[in-house]
Amino acid sequence: MMTQTWAIFYDAYRALNARKLFWISLGLSAVVVLSFATVGINDKGLTFFHWQIGIDAFSTQFISRETFYKLIFTTLGVRFWITFLATILGLISTAGVIPDLVSDGAIDLVLSKPIGRVRLFLTKYVTGLLFVTLQVAVFTTLSFFVIGLRGGAWEPGLFITVPMVILFYSYIYSVCALLGLITRSTVAALLLTILFWVLNGSLHITESSLLVARTNFEVRVEAIENDLDERTQKLAELTERAVAEPDNQRIATNIVNQQRMLEVRTQELPGEIGNRDLLQRIHFGVMALKTLLPKTTETIDLTERWLISSADMEGLTNQAAQEPAPMTFSTDPDDIAMSDREISREVQDRIEQATRERSVAWIVGTSVIFEAAMLAIACWIFRRRDF
Amino acid sequence: MKPTQNGDDLVIDLARVEKTFKGRVRALDDVQMRVHRGEVFGLLGPNGAGKSTLVKILLTIVRPSRCQGRMLGEAVGDKSVLSRVGYLPEHLRFPQYLTGGQSLEYSAALSNVPRRERKQRREALLERVGMTRWANKKVGGYSKGMRQRLGVAQALMNDPDLVFLDEPTDGLDPVGRRDVRRLLVELREEGKTVFINSHLLNELEAVCDRVAILAQGRLVLQGTMDELTAGQERYTIELASAPAPAALAAAREAAEQAGVSLEIKGDVVQLGVDELNHAQLVMDALRSQRAVIKSARPTRPSLEDLFMRAIIDPHTGEELLPGAASPGSKQETSINGEEAP
Repeated sequence: MMTQTWAIFYDAYRALNARKLFWISLGLSAVVVLSFATVGINDKGLTFFHWQIGIDAFSTQFISRETFYKLIFTTLGVRFWITFLATILGLISTAGVIPDLVSDGAIDLVLSKPIGRVRLFLTKYVTGLLFVTLQVAVFTTLSFFVIGLRGGAWEPGLFITVPMVILFYSYIYSVCALLGLITRSTVAALLLTILFWVLNGSLHITESSLLVARTNFEVRVEAIENDLDERTQKLAELTERAVAEPDNQRIATNIVNQQRMLEVRTQELPGEIGNRDLLQRIHFGVMALKTLLPKTTETIDLTERWLISSADMEGLTNQAAQEPAPMTFSTDPDDIAMSDREISREVQDRIEQATRERSVAWIVGTSVIFEAAMLAIACWIFRRRDF
Repeated sequence: MKPTQNGDDLVIDLARVEKTFKGRVRALDDVQMRVHRGEVFGLLGPNGAGKSTLVKILLTIVRPSRCQGRMLGEAVGDKSVLSRVGYLPEHLRFPQYLTGGQSLEYSAALSNVPRRERKQRREALLERVGMTRWANKKVGGYSKGMRQRLGVAQALMNDPDLVFLDEPTDGLDPVGRRDVRRLLVELREEGKTVFINSHLLNELEAVCDRVAILAQGRLVLQGTMDELTAGQERYTIELASAPAPAALAAAREAAEQAGVSLEIKGDVVQLGVDELNHAQLVMDALRSQRAVIKSARPTRPSLEDLFMRAIIDPHTGEELLPGAASPGSKQETSINGEEAP
């Protein structure tokens, strides 16, 4: 049994070894990691080789050297290179694994061997992950040394990236394997998988946008409701004061202003609640759909969540908080409503919280269920098909 | 090894095999077949007759609609038995990035052959098919004939008890064909059972112990050449020229006296008997009328004759169309040599 499995893996390695794209991709991984090493950070800002680039927001005053390199690793290295460009190269290299397996002349030979169809298919599927496994393993190992040598932090936790990226790729590759089996065409499998990936990514962007909009309306509705409560209370106080001081013009003006604002807010509220409810319903529907599909972005985000803690990011966040305040919600000098900046901060905090609250079980669990479903369908087809 | 008729000696014993593809194309209909241990068995038939489908069912590449039968003592479809089976597909395609030697090792590893044995057999088989020089070259650079030789070698890498060869001489030059014929004889001498699918009737006739003919998914003939031609022996007398009427009359009279049938086609006289003393009477009659005899020999139908006869529709008298039987059609078949199903 092991003889067969080993033979299939060794054959997959030979197939990769014979592809120039594999070595080009591996070379590019090394270049990307080495490019990290050229960038540094000190108390004055960033450095590129020995040149100083004065960016106050990025200096060791706000972010530690270790966090800076981990941030580069997760954002540029993992998100951009490994899970985007290298993934495309990986798909190009491995989209043909299943179509080649089921091609005329090749499938007859392997099916005539004493190996079960399901085992054969799943083993071939796993060999399809070999490309990205080797890529991410080399990339992470090199990054480990760069972060250790340049950032001064020897972080073994970095290697969590390897299983997470393999997991991420396996979601997409399960679709590729199924499509490759159905169409028997490498090109069709590749293009349709990329289309699926793009659509899945679009759904993620849609969901994120809806979350922002929904949270925005939730915070606004809460702000208006609080505002109404406080204005009502203040109006009552002013009315009492107006009775005590009937000649106080300022109080009279304030009462008029408060009544006007109350009227405005009261008119605004149903619309805002309507928008909030509508967005909540739409977001719920999109989330339900998303639950059924693989969470590629969130899976990769888990790596960042584990590697970089909230405390690590505090420096940068505080720095951002010191930026000039944007326009306020109202120009009324007695306005007690939340400012736009406060709303924005609240929305950001809630989104951050909502995102971080999404459990690993939901992110990985539902994605793995999707992957298992794809593979189960593929195995069912492969098991029943006549070649 | 001389095949015996003992049931335990059967390598393949199919009681009933049927396959209907999507679209209700009936590729195989109630096929019964027996292959004995240590024999070279030839399966023939026109294109689309179902030969490859039958082999693929035995090798689990195609799922049967119905299959009652055993191969190497196990039920057809049992994967474990395939470690004792070798197979050369009709259009075998090795991965282009492998060398000839690597291809053989890969194939053997899939059959669970231990590493040490793989190495040994690889060298021996490359030598056997004349490919040692090319062992370390990529398969992508091989000619069709070289790939075919390599394919034959890979079919033997697991030292199988039963070997299926689908068109083994396809793409081979005359020398290659002769080598394959020799190999088949050697395999038989080693006690292996060889199952060949081929269109090349002369080659099959030369090496096969037994043959079967499939037409439109049905088995129409099965048996040894002796069994299949039993009762069809002839004595053929070839004359220098077409016989004169007097010679003809004399020959007919002699045949009648000997109690044998006589058929004359141009300058060839055929007697429905293979005994020389009966033929001698007719030849004396012909010579008495000054007919010149060029040759006289006992003959029997060739495999080609049997094949052509087998693919004739008994109802219409015309050749069966290539391909599978149309749904619902029924064709009467006669199996010589073994009992009709």
